[in-house]
Amino acid sequence: MKTPRFWLLLALVAVLAVGAAACGGDDDEDDGAAAPETTGGGDTGGEAVDCTASIGIMGPFTGDVAAIGQEQLNWAKFAVDTFNEERGTSFELVEGDTQLDPAQASVVAPQFVDNDAIVAVVGPAGSQEVDAVGGIYSDASMAFISGSATATNLTEDYETFYRVVPTDADQGPTVATYMVEELGAQNVFIIDDQSSYSTGLADSATAALEDGGATVSRESVSQDQTDFSSLVSAVADDTDVIFLPWQVAANAQLFGNQLAEQGKDVPIFGSDGLFSPDDFKVAGSYVSSFAPDITGLDDPAIQDMVAAFEDEYGDFGTFGPPTFAATTVVMEAATAVCEGGEEPTREAVLEQMDQTDLPDSILGQPISFTENGDINDATFFIFQVQDDGSYQLVE
Amino acid sequence: MDVDFFVQQLVNGLTLGSVYALIALGYSMVYGILKLLNFAHGEVYMFGAFIGYFVLSALGGASSPSIPVAPLLVIMFLAAMLGAGLLGVVIERYAYRPLRNAPRIAPLISAIGVSFFLQASALLLFTAQFRTYDTPQLIPIDTTGRIDAGPLHISLTRILVIVSTIGLMIALTLLVSRTRLGKAMRAVSYDREAAAMMGIDPDKVIVATFFIGSALAGAAGVMFGLVFERVFHLMGFTAGLKGFTAAVIGGIGNIPGAMLGGLIIGLAESFSTGYISSTFQNLIVFGILIVILLVRPTGLLGSPVLKKV
Repeated sequence: MKTPRFWLLLALVAVLAVGAAACGGDDDEDDGAAAPETTGGGDTGGEAVDCTASIGIMGPFTGDVAAIGQEQLNWAKFAVDTFNEERGTSFELVEGDTQLDPAQASVVAPQFVDNDAIVAVVGPAGSQEVDAVGGIYSDASMAFISGSATATNLTEDYETFYRVVPTDADQGPTVATYMVEELGAQNVFIIDDQSSYSTGLADSATAALEDGGATVSRESVSQDQTDFSSLVSAVADDTDVIFLPWQVAANAQLFGNQLAEQGKDVPIFGSDGLFSPDDFKVAGSYVSSFAPDITGLDDPAIQDMVAAFEDEYGDFGTFGPPTFAATTVVMEAATAVCEGGEEPTREAVLEQMDQTDLPDSILGQPISFTENGDINDATFFIFQVQDDGSYQLVE
Repeated sequence: MDVDFFVQQLVNGLTLGSVYALIALGYSMVYGILKLLNFAHGEVYMFGAFIGYFVLSALGGASSPSIPVAPLLVIMFLAAMLGAGLLGVVIERYAYRPLRNAPRIAPLISAIGVSFFLQASALLLFTAQFRTYDTPQLIPIDTTGRIDAGPLHISLTRILVIVSTIGLMIALTLLVSRTRLGKAMRAVSYDREAAAMMGIDPDKVIVATFFIGSALAGAAGVMFGLVFERVFHLMGFTAGLKGFTAAVIGGIGNIPGAMLGGLIIGLAESFSTGYISSTFQNLIVFGILIVILLVRPTGLLGSPVLKKV
C-alpha cells in the first residue's frame, strides 16, 4: 500500500505547513502603530549642547501597514532634524524594519542591543512586537518607547518600556461608552483578528458594553483572511454596530465593501489599528485614535511644526505625531544627561526618562510618566469617516 | 431566512471555489503530463494578480479608467494570462526540463525552490506594500452593480468570476477532448515514450501544457484581485496550497476532478465560516483532504491505481 501512505504523508506535510505559516504569522499588522511623540514645543533657544548618540527606531516600514510605518519614520526623522538644529546636538536614527511581525522584531532588537552607539529605541509599533522584544531590551537596560502599542500589560511586564499613548484598558470603555450612549447600540458584533492586541481590546470592550446593557456577540478571523463574505452573511439583522479591533486597515476596508455588497447597512466601529485614511475609507464608520488630529489643535507653535513637516514630507494621519513625541522624549533625556556633564549611556538615559516632565508636546498635552511607564492623562479620540474618505473628530 | 442564508453562503463558496478550481487545474494538468507537483504554481498565480493590477494602474486605475470597463477587464485578463503563461514556460524550461530524467524528488525540490525564488523576486520588484484593485470604484457594489433577490445579494463582480471560470473550464475541456493538441496531451500523459514514437514531440506538448495551466492561474489571480481586492507577494502560498489540495481531493491528474475539488474547498470554507466559525475554516478544509485520502486515496474522480500481477 505504498501510494496512499505517500499521499497521506504529503497531506500531513501540507497541513503542518499551513499551521506553521499561520503561527509564524504573516507580516504586517499594523498595530495602531504610531510612535509616541515626545514633547514637541520645540524652541528652547538655549545654548548648543554637545551631545552625540544614536537612537534606534523600529517600525513597519514595509509591508501591510507600511503607510503607517513610513509616517512614523518621517516624523521621527523630522524630530531628530529639528532637535539637532535647535539644540546643536548630534543625534542619529538607526532604522529597523519589522513589518509589524514579532519574529522580525526579535531579530532587530538584538542587533540594536549589540550596536553600542544606540542608547534608546523608539518603537516597536505593535503590542505583540513589544511582547517579543521586551525581555531583550529590559535585560540590556535599554529604554524603549512606543507611540502606538496600546495593550494594557506591556508597561507592567517590561521594566524599560514607556509609551506616550493610552492603553486598551482605556480604549475599551471609551469606545463602549460612545457606542452605547451616542450611537444607542443594543446589539454589538465584535470580531477580533486573533492578535493579542485585538483579543485584549475585544475583551475590554465586551466587558464595558455588557456593563452598559448591550448584548455582545463575538467572532474571530485571522489576519491573513482574504474573504469575509461568509462572515458578513452571518451578521444578524438586528446588529447595531460591528466593532473591529483590527490591526490591518485594508482588511477592514474589504470587510466594509463586502458588507455593502450584501446590502447590510450596519456601521463599523474600528479601533486605533484602523486609523489609516489611505486604507480604511468606509463612509459612515467610526475609528478611535489615541492621538488627536494635531492639525486641529489651537497652538501656533504646533501648527508651525505641522506646516514645516508637510512642506518636507507631505500629508500625515495620527500615527506620526506620537512617534515625534516619543523621539523627543528620548532626545530630551539624553540631552539632560549630557548637560549634567555625563556620557549618554543606556542606563543614564533610562534613569533620565523616568524623570521626564515636559510641559507641552506636539500632542497638545504635557508628558510625564507613571511609575510603570504609562503616560499621565492620555485619552482616546473618536473620528468618523466622511463621504470623501476624510476623518472628522466627533468626540 | 435560513434558505436565503444558505444560498448566500453558496454564492460565496462558488466564487471562492472558482478561483481555487482554476489554480487546481494547473496543478492537475502538469501532474498529469509530468507526474510533477509544480509547487511554484501558486506564485505564478500571484504574478498574474500583479500583472492585472499593473495593467489596471497603467490604464488609469480603478477610480478613473481611461477606457470603458468591459474592454479594460478583457485586457487585464489577457495580459495576466499571457504573462503568467510565459512565466510558466520559462520555469519549465530552466527549472524542470534539465531534471526530466533525474529521480522524481529532484524536480519537486526544484519546484519548492522556484516558489521561494519567485516570492522573493516579487518582494524585491514590487515591495511588501499591499496593492488593492479597489474594485468597487470600477464595478459598483451598490444596487446598480448588484442583483438583489430578496435578502440574497450577488455582485456583478462575483457573477463575472463564476461565469468566466465556467467559460474557461468549458474551453479547456473542449481543448483536451476535441483538438489535436488535446489528444497529444492525453497521449503524452498516458505514455510519453509511446507518444514520441508516434511522432508527437513531447517537449512541445509539455510547454503547451505549462502555458495553458499557468495562464489559467494568471486568470485566477486577476479574479481574486477583482473580488477580494488585495494583492501581495505572499498570496500565492496559501492559494497554491489550497489549489493543490483541491487537485488532490478531486483526483490529481484529472481535469474534472480539479474543478470538483476546487468547488468542494470553496464551499467548505464558506459553509464552515457561516455555520460554525471562521476559525475552523482551514481545519475543516484540510480535514476533508485527509479523510478523502484515507477513504479514496486517488481522489474523488481519480481512477484507481491498477496493480500489476
